[in-house]
Amino acid sequence: MAETAQPGPVDAHTPEGGTRRDFLSIAATAIAGVGAACALWPLVDSMNPAADTLAAGAPIDVDLKSLQPGQQIIVLWRSRPIFIVRRTPDQVTKLATPEVKGQLRDPQSAANQQPPYAQNDSRSVKPEYLVLVGICTHLGCIPEFVPQPGGSLGASWQGGYFCPCHGSRYDLAGRVFQNVPAPYNLPVPPYHFVSDTVIRVGENPADSTFDFNSVEQI
Amino acid sequence: MRKHVLALGLAALGFVVLSSGAMAQEEAMPPLAKQKWSFDGPFGTYDRAALQRGFEVFQNVCSNCHSLKLVTYGDYGPGGPGGGLGYNDDEVKAIAAAKETTDGPNDQGEMFQRPARASDHIVPPFPNDQANRAAHNGALPPDLSLIVKAREGNADYVYGILTGYKPTPAGMKMPDTMQYNEHFPGHQISMPAPLSDDLVTYADGTKATTAQEAHDVVTFLQWAAEPHLEDRKRTGVKVMIFLLFMTGVLYAAKRKIWASVH
Amino acid sequence: MALQSQNKVVRWIDHRLPIFTFMNHELNEYPTPKNLNYWWNYGSLAGIMLLIMIITGIFLAMEYTPNVNLAFDSVERIMRDVNYGWLIRYIHMNGASFFFIVTYIHIFRGLYFGSYKQPRELLWMIGVVILLCMMATAFMGYVLPWGQMSFWGATVITNLFSAVPLVGNEIVTWLWGGFSVDNPTLNRFYALHYLLPFVILGIVGLHVMALHTHGSNNPLGIDRKGPQDSIPFHPYYTIKDMFGLGVFLLIFCGFVFFGPNLLGDPANYIRANPLQTPPEIVPEWYFLPFYAMLRSVPDILFIKAKLAGVLAMFGSIGLLFILPWLDTSPVRSARFRPVYKWVFWLLVIDIVLLAMVGAHRPEGLWVIAGRLGTLYYFVHFLILFPLIGIFERPLPLPNSISEAVTKKGGGKVAGATAPMEKP
Repeated sequence: MAETAQPGPVDAHTPEGGTRRDFLSIAATAIAGVGAACALWPLVDSMNPAADTLAAGAPIDVDLKSLQPGQQIIVLWRSRPIFIVRRTPDQVTKLATPEVKGQLRDPQSAANQQPPYAQNDSRSVKPEYLVLVGICTHLGCIPEFVPQPGGSLGASWQGGYFCPCHGSRYDLAGRVFQNVPAPYNLPVPPYHFVSDTVIRVGENPADSTFDFNSVEQI
Repeated sequence: MRKHVLALGLAALGFVVLSSGAMAQEEAMPPLAKQKWSFDGPFGTYDRAALQRGFEVFQNVCSNCHSLKLVTYGDYGPGGPGGGLGYNDDEVKAIAAAKETTDGPNDQGEMFQRPARASDHIVPPFPNDQANRAAHNGALPPDLSLIVKAREGNADYVYGILTGYKPTPAGMKMPDTMQYNEHFPGHQISMPAPLSDDLVTYADGTKATTAQEAHDVVTFLQWAAEPHLEDRKRTGVKVMIFLLFMTGVLYAAKRKIWASVH
Repeated sequence: MALQSQNKVVRWIDHRLPIFTFMNHELNEYPTPKNLNYWWNYGSLAGIMLLIMIITGIFLAMEYTPNVNLAFDSVERIMRDVNYGWLIRYIHMNGASFFFIVTYIHIFRGLYFGSYKQPRELLWMIGVVILLCMMATAFMGYVLPWGQMSFWGATVITNLFSAVPLVGNEIVTWLWGGFSVDNPTLNRFYALHYLLPFVILGIVGLHVMALHTHGSNNPLGIDRKGPQDSIPFHPYYTIKDMFGLGVFLLIFCGFVFFGPNLLGDPANYIRANPLQTPPEIVPEWYFLPFYAMLRSVPDILFIKAKLAGVLAMFGSIGLLFILPWLDTSPVRSARFRPVYKWVFWLLVIDIVLLAMVGAHRPEGLWVIAGRLGTLYYFVHFLILFPLIGIFERPLPLPNSISEAVTKKGGGKVAGATAPMEKP
């Protein structure tokens, strides 16, 4: 670099009569840096859900007339599977027994995984009908509905959900068992009964303002 | 040499100026009158009252033939771009529910009609373009979502069309299904004059003259075409102020650094 | 020269991968003529524009759908629903125009100050390749929103290739992947529109490499004689480029925020309709001079007007490749070329005229203007360039840059302030 005006170490490239680190240069660099950082925000924010994505997911009505006790149907709401189970009276009674509750991680549904109107032993508005977002709180797989007690899941299995990916287990109220990878109960979406046999998933009852986006984990 | 070149250059420029004048004369269109719009200028915003009146005109008049496919009912409400038209959620729900839209298939595999919701796009007056054409002597009323941005002259042009109906000049042959409009290219337009005095009754009591209706509905259509306009201009003012400041500091730094070289 | 840094980590890395030495060499101490004026800002501005286009483009690509039924709506979804989508798209849309403004000024600067001459011929030729790639990228990008101008612009420009003798129609069918501009065309244009900017980025690397081999030309067009003629790139030209960028961004943002559609055609907000051609098909402004040449050439002997027009259009850029050898003058800067200095402006006027021709229907006087303008363009490069170099008597050149700079106040140096220079 024979041609440079002031050959030598890096620090020598400073105009005479002032250091490169003088106030103006630092200020200019800082301001330009702030500007560049601000310019990044629109790019980052553009990857957040768009207005139409947020507006979609209007409530859906599901007719439960043909649903038999012990059966489950799956519907789609906001591109997520919603499990709807019509539990038998026997299954409902079991949910409140100490033997079952003793094996659960969060038997009282203390964690915010359901609207307040579903924070009870059956985690539902009407104990007969269970409504869940069918996504395992471990890593997002869809748990299998295994209502029969016993079988390959062991003698103590009382019926519930079994996640095929990593073996998480939930009871018939979507409450997670201890010693499985999933941390939380399956979430309950906002819903209410429009009539005796029709539920509207995605909309709270008139007296509730539950925000589904506030749950711990979907 | 220098003089010759200059002369040549001037001649070329003169030619360009002359010829563009000649070209302009060929199109016998009256110039569009420049209207005063609330959204003009670097600080322009949408006049919410005009937007709502414009919506009333659109809803009662335009929407009988024209679709507005890119806009959703939710856009009218507070969740819409820039706060929408100023309606609240309940008003939006009511506006949407007044229209029936096709949904489905249901459990029986059949399509069904249901009241529209906020997330639905504005329900078009005809199920498809062919049906729309068939109802209008073969002419297709265009979708209005982008009409203001899609025409030379923009808002002034749409206003010009809405107020540009004149009696057919003597000696001009006009088919039965066409009208004379001084601002439409070719002057023959299929759309009958859509607006007239007191065609709508404004909720806010404003007198509904033709000019008022046109002005309001164009404001509404400008919003439909560019809903983020207010956002854009607000952000722009902030960005410009920042850039002026940054450039000033950079200039000072440049002067200081270069002081020793000059 | 190896980097002498206090930082141990930097030294450890640099010993194994001399990236810091390289950056220090090329960006920091890189010796630059001390007399560059603001016309030399446009190279780095073009580089920054390229980066802005690539970055905004990547984020647009995340939301865009290349399908004839969905493309228009997906762009409108970006404009309406995606957070800041309107901003990113308006930056990208106007960015194309400003990229060309900056690049054209960069090219005219090279023409005025003779930057294409020995030993910078390859630097210039690589630049022409970049221009061609930019044009291809811009053209294909303009098709993506699938508006009326997108569709009909694509139809017209791809049909150019049907002028090729014998296999013209086969080439066009191949370009389309069908029998008209349709979904396969849109998809391949999207793929290439995403690819080409990165190709350009690579070629820009070569462009800078060639530049740094002999260093920048300068307004005097004379070589640097020694250290007294140079200053290090940093901080002198980094700060000057940054200040220039600030001014540029003010103008650019003025368009993006307050007139985002001023440079665009309203017809592109109408969904593409293969059954209806718009009354006037006009390309974006940066293609207008070339579009004018395409339409202006009449039948020449046995060459039909269609082929002649296509040849003229491609030839107008193609001849830039041989420009270094068309110019016979040994003097670089127009400041010391009393004749060329003025003829240069004729080219500018000619290209502005051609742009105006391109924006109007080919009727009446515009046809004649187009023909004369096209003729002059080729006369300028193929006849005037060699002749002026031979017959012109250049002014005496200063002995060195530093001598000229110090004498500047006296106004004694030949070639007093040229019109293209800022004082």
